[in-house]
Amino acid sequence: MLIRNMIEESSRKYADIKAVKWLQKKEILDINYAELLNDVIAVRKGLLSEEFAGKHIAIIGASSVEWIESYLAIITGKTVAVPLDAALPEEELIELINRSDAEALFLSPKNKSMINAVLSDCEKIKNVWMLQNDDFECDDERVKTFADIKKTGEKSDTDSECPDKDDIATIIFTSGTTGKSKGVMLSQENLATNVEFVEFYDEPGTTMLSVLPIHHAFCLVMDWLKGFSLGATLCINDSLLHMVRNMAIFKPEVILMVPMMVETIYKRIAAADQSIPKKVLAENVFGGRLRIIFTGGAHLDPFYIEKMAEFGVDVLEGYGMSECSPVISMSRPEDNKPGSIGRPIKNAEIAFENGEILVKGSSVMKGYYKMPEETAETLKDGWLHTGDKGYIDEDGFLFINGRVKNLIIMSNGENVSPEEIENKLALNDLIGEVIVTGENNGLTARVYPEQALVEAKKLDEESIRSEIQAFLDTYNKTQPTYRQITGLIIRKNPFIRSSTKKIKRQDALIDEPMA
Amino acid sequence: MQNKEMEFKTIVSKYCDMKPEDIKNDMRFREDLGFSSLDFMSFLGELEDTFDVELEEEKVLKIIYVSEALEILESL
Repeated sequence: MLIRNMIEESSRKYADIKAVKWLQKKEILDINYAELLNDVIAVRKGLLSEEFAGKHIAIIGASSVEWIESYLAIITGKTVAVPLDAALPEEELIELINRSDAEALFLSPKNKSMINAVLSDCEKIKNVWMLQNDDFECDDERVKTFADIKKTGEKSDTDSECPDKDDIATIIFTSGTTGKSKGVMLSQENLATNVEFVEFYDEPGTTMLSVLPIHHAFCLVMDWLKGFSLGATLCINDSLLHMVRNMAIFKPEVILMVPMMVETIYKRIAAADQSIPKKVLAENVFGGRLRIIFTGGAHLDPFYIEKMAEFGVDVLEGYGMSECSPVISMSRPEDNKPGSIGRPIKNAEIAFENGEILVKGSSVMKGYYKMPEETAETLKDGWLHTGDKGYIDEDGFLFINGRVKNLIIMSNGENVSPEEIENKLALNDLIGEVIVTGENNGLTARVYPEQALVEAKKLDEESIRSEIQAFLDTYNKTQPTYRQITGLIIRKNPFIRSSTKKIKRQDALIDEPMA
Repeated sequence: MQNKEMEFKTIVSKYCDMKPEDIKNDMRFREDLGFSSLDFMSFLGELEDTFDVELEEEKVLKIIYVSEALEILESL
């Protein structure tokens, strides 16, 4: 069963159940499953009649009903969806639109400042549809709205044929260790089987609150696609500022989170007056109906799992990566082990090579878009090399105990490539050598200043620090939060290097004169 | 310390291991108080709910120092 069949089946079985709920100012709006499918079909037909069959279409924006309807319209037709991170700097988004060969773009009104750059710098882009139903003022006739493409489709009699299981459904960008993000190609079968084999079942109408960025595979597949397959009601958290308030409004039963979110919620509970009964506290902080938090993307301290259990909430850890559509293993309410990331899902075959976890199966990607070398390095004989080290215990639970690649996993689940940032920081003349490390929930730059410049300008330690800090402040302003540098350490000695003269990253914290 | 500032710092103290009276205005939320980016968002939401104000997301996300958050709160 492909995603198209799944959505059709849900709209038949759960026609009157609310599929999506969201806030507009203080009013709760919603659509049911029958309406969801109608919109999806209309947009899909619209894309076909505008001659986008077989083309790549990018989407930029935060979670919205228009976003998910556009995504579903693209992947249930013979078109390829390219969801991009709306928080990225404009020039990076332009580069990704071009590198993914997107020919059209769905764009959130919040990102409207980039329209001109898209139209002038993205040669292949033929249309931009703003993710809104109200009119949008623009002199360029290529710019229209979500309502326009829907209307075009409603007038058309011809629908797109169903994609084949091996067709690419989506390209999802992920951090690359060489500093260039890689486009993970997922087929129709990859996505559909991940939804199918994730063992989570709940009653139709179960309330889920979607708080993660929708362009991430974890949120997209586990919240939205899995949620829709169960007939769940997906509520949109409009801002992380209002996550706690929105939990009180929507009273979710299931939430997908990254570890940082569980930690923040727990701080709210721990800071409350301990004489307040737990049930009342649970109502105040997370709406009172929360049963399950699925977490993934980074390691969560088991302390939080125990503490949340006191409030009747099962925190279930899982493991995955975009390259596996994304779930590889997951814990279940009735079957889990603290510290483990659960059992592999049934379509994921696991093996180990020098301790590295390898995965094979129907959810493993087709490769990186237009990156044959990186694909060959990661996919060997059908085995995906995850870059994580781990083992399976005697009861069949998977554990992670290290990493092969240099990626820093932040507790919000974002993967940061230190080399990518180091290359940018090294552009400053005063930065002689730099290594970026992940510490205390943030990134720290460890810098050995360029000695020739220090001597020429006769800089003391304080002025070196303030000059580099000023440069970091400027750099931070151009970057999404997870790529900002929050710590600066000025080294007295150069980094320790290997016999091949490469900086030994594992020794980056040692600051001693070389023997 | 004024009542509003005290109440403000009591909320700050929930997200770090410090007493409200030890939180100085020239401290930075992330670097000095150890707020994660999400702690900071959640803190801003709590400010809105406690003081019944609406913060401009784009403006408040640029805040670095305790004093800046206090100034914005005082101005509302």
